[in-house]
Amino acid sequence: MKCLAVLLILPAIALAEPATVIRATDLKQAPASDSDTVAALAEQTAVEVLERKSGWMRVKSVSGDGWVRMLALRLGSAGAAKPGASGLSQMFNVARTGTSGTQVTTGVRGLDAEQIANAQPNPAELAKLEKFAADRDAASGFATQGKLTPAAVAYPK
Amino acid sequence: MKILLLLAGLAVAAGAQAQFRMPSFDINKMVETVKNVGKAVKEIDEPEEIAIGKDVASRLLGAAPLVADARLQRYVNHVGRWLAAQTERPDLPWQFGVLDSPNVNAFAVPGGTIFITRGLLERMHNEAELAGVLGHEIVHVLRKHHLKAIQKGAQSSLAGDAMSMALKDRAGPARDKLIAFGTEMYSRGLDKGDELEADRLGIVIAARGGYDAYGLPSVLQTLQAISAQDSAIALMFKTHPAPGERLDALSEKMQPVLDAYASQPQLAERFVRQIKK
Repeated sequence: MKCLAVLLILPAIALAEPATVIRATDLKQAPASDSDTVAALAEQTAVEVLERKSGWMRVKSVSGDGWVRMLALRLGSAGAAKPGASGLSQMFNVARTGTSGTQVTTGVRGLDAEQIANAQPNPAELAKLEKFAADRDAASGFATQGKLTPAAVAYPK
Repeated sequence: MKILLLLAGLAVAAGAQAQFRMPSFDINKMVETVKNVGKAVKEIDEPEEIAIGKDVASRLLGAAPLVADARLQRYVNHVGRWLAAQTERPDLPWQFGVLDSPNVNAFAVPGGTIFITRGLLERMHNEAELAGVLGHEIVHVLRKHHLKAIQKGAQSSLAGDAMSMALKDRAGPARDKLIAFGTEMYSRGLDKGDELEADRLGIVIAARGGYDAYGLPSVLQTLQAISAQDSAIALMFKTHPAPGERLDALSEKMQPVLDAYASQPQLAERFVRQIKK
């Protein structure tokens, strides 16, 4: 089980995913806009993402290593097959449910368009769902535990 | 209110009459029209919204059951309920469920039920990402995006009195039709404008909850990198604007909010601890 946990954290700490700069942006020394600029990256520059941190991604580029604004990047090299996700999560499926998970798409149940359109009611699962619901006080205690402080943020106009 | 509706109905009926230059003035027919117009514009009230939601949720659970893991289900309920408490509808019977499916998707059901798939949860890195996705789904409920779409669609597919029958009689055939229609909508998706609004406001809700506001954009980045050929994400791609387009819209409109709340917690450790078995 330890092994699984480590595998799960892996993508967060050691992902090296190809990405492309979608608009000219600065490569920064640290994940902050007032940090020193390492280099200017042109649109379409290919980089490799090493780490994510909030709105920033640490990347390796031909101009050196540094931090780039997440929204100036798009993961995946154009047209390339998707990195990572299938292998790891497939393994996780097997470990978690004891099935490969692929049976779902061939069975009666599943979340494909047609399967949703033809779904029949499942009152037993609905009762379970209601049982798991949390009240406001419990949720509030949970937030305190995580040191989450509510902020007053207005909806955009 | 009744009188206003009646007047509005009369105006519509009279307008129709004038337009088609109907030869005779049939008062009975006109009263009928007014009655139907009155029903068509009737707002679905909150108890009805909740009742419709339960029936739709039951069907979605027929498509994919909950992951059999009480701890995981409670964890997601805690995150979701905390976020919902920061909104203008804090006292709906909010409930959150992880569906046992490898597909990558999430669903908001009228009245406060939110589903996220195991497949989507497994691709996340921290609690702030989960909060971003739940925030997006919560907005669909707050703004009644699905409810309005159900009502709009049902009016054209359920003729005359059927809509009010469907609301009144929870065991009747009209009800069945309404719920089947409401469920099928999740295979077709909402308007693009609704999805982009849910992205913008979802970020605000996650930030209000005290989370790093970049959670949702981070998930969109992950989704963007998934190949469109991957069948696990086919429905999500079919029913939503492309992740790249959603990210563009966010960077255009939400950069100030994102940056103002970027240093709030992500809670990666708590997330991983809860998600692993």
